[in-house]
Amino acid sequence: MDNTLASRISQAPFAGLAATGLDRADLPRILRELPFGVAVVDRDRRTLFMNKVLERLTGYQSDEVAGVPCRHVLRGSFCLHACPRLACAKGAKGAPAPADPCAAESREGTLINRHRRKVHVRLTSVPVLDARGEHLCTLDVIEDLTALKELEARLTRTAGPGAIVGRCSAMEHLLRILPAVAGSDATVLLTGESGTGKDLLAEALHRASPRARESFVRVNATPMPEALLDVELFGQAGVAGENSSPRPGKFQLAQNGTLYLSEIADMPLAQQGRLLRLLDEKAVVPAGGERPMRLNVRVVAATGRDPEALVKAGLLREDLFHRLNAVRLHLPPVRERGEDVQFLLTHFLGIYAAKFRKQVLGFSEAALALLSAYDYPGNVRELRNMVEYAAMVCAGDQILPEHLPPHVRALQPLAASSAPPADTTAPKHGTARVKSARKKG
Amino acid sequence: MGKNILVTLYRSEVSPRFDLATEVLLVTIDADGREVRRQELVLAHASADDLCDLILDREVAVLITGGMEEEHYHYLRWKRLEVLDRVAGLAAEALTRYLRGELESGDILFPRGEHA
Repeated sequence: MDNTLASRISQAPFAGLAATGLDRADLPRILRELPFGVAVVDRDRRTLFMNKVLERLTGYQSDEVAGVPCRHVLRGSFCLHACPRLACAKGAKGAPAPADPCAAESREGTLINRHRRKVHVRLTSVPVLDARGEHLCTLDVIEDLTALKELEARLTRTAGPGAIVGRCSAMEHLLRILPAVAGSDATVLLTGESGTGKDLLAEALHRASPRARESFVRVNATPMPEALLDVELFGQAGVAGENSSPRPGKFQLAQNGTLYLSEIADMPLAQQGRLLRLLDEKAVVPAGGERPMRLNVRVVAATGRDPEALVKAGLLREDLFHRLNAVRLHLPPVRERGEDVQFLLTHFLGIYAAKFRKQVLGFSEAALALLSAYDYPGNVRELRNMVEYAAMVCAGDQILPEHLPPHVRALQPLAASSAPPADTTAPKHGTARVKSARKKG
Repeated sequence: MGKNILVTLYRSEVSPRFDLATEVLLVTIDADGREVRRQELVLAHASADDLCDLILDREVAVLITGGMEEEHYHYLRWKRLEVLDRVAGLAAEALTRYLRGELESGDILFPRGEHA
């Protein structure tokens, strides 16, 4: 389409509309009521007018910024470099630019408002020309993209394995099969010592599953009277005549989503029996009710102990164990993740150095020897807390032994005997670990 | 005792955005408020975090800038800086006003018309 200045004049698009009296319309009132932000700026990009939506978005009233360059009102990321309409203003004064600088254009970016809040926006700049094609002013239309960006972030979060990281073969295998397991609707049993990341894995399974947009409900079957636990898990039916409304249990809250039972063996055997029936019949009868309620819930259960031993000890019903054990994912303890220790240390150091705004680049060889020798009875949780502490107290660019907790520093004599000399390279992955006095078993 | 004042720049104006500033003006004044040193620094790239580091590294006591995010504002306030943000105007005028004790956060120094 011919979009030159001359052709725009000949098209005279508003000629018919002018006959209707539009040229006499109360334009500011119309603009003021539009449901998106509108600013009118002059040829020199000075603010002439802002509508109500833009006043709310920027925090400024139209009259207090009249005449102020719009880059100081919008404070858009697009204002400082290649301002969309400056080219048009210049082009209209001089010779027409080859690529028609007066064409409307959109760009996305951010603005920082009066309340120091960064807002994602889309700016569309539309030049307003007179009948002779002279540039009169520019209409800046600003759309708030906050809701879209939040949705995008939420959807992006559903895709990956979340905060689970690992490079050892066991973790790589786990991360490789995670999408397939998440995609199925099978019941999953997660095993692994405390601090290995069972909760994170359960959440990652949910986020990667087709149920990701529904609820993820975590249940911790802490010791409580059985009747209360029944209500907590399976809900309570409303009693007619007693003015009591039905109360949804955790299973009802997880409808269409995922229910995560964080320590299955803590659940009393009676509730384990009800859970088994629920898994078989896909229905639950709320406490005090008679009619079963259909449920569509995926169950992910976890235990920090050996499930076979729990069955033998009579703490976990065997039939429930077999029902839950459709897919079993085991998270290895850190002491068995040899080559992962250094990776996890570096990974968490990056996170906490950024959080504390410190330029900590790495670990000294002595600190690394101590950390590699430690057996982490608290697993990844303990390792993460240790790095957080070290990054917090470190004032230089390297984590030194004195930045480590005392019980790790106490390992030094033992570590020194197995670690290479301080002036050589860091210890190789998978070297024999010096066990601390806290070693289990 | 003197102090360092940093003004983020966009051409001759106070930069409308702290996080997008690629030039800064660093002015040292003595105890009597007289300017003793003036430096214009060009930054490798725009980054609010790097700018915070520069500010702390140069022991800046006063920051004059345009819009900035709450996180950086509170961080620098926590580091005991006097932060005059949301200032709109020419950098030289903002500095002069500050030295006269007449500059506040949110000041608009550009002439304002009766357009609206």
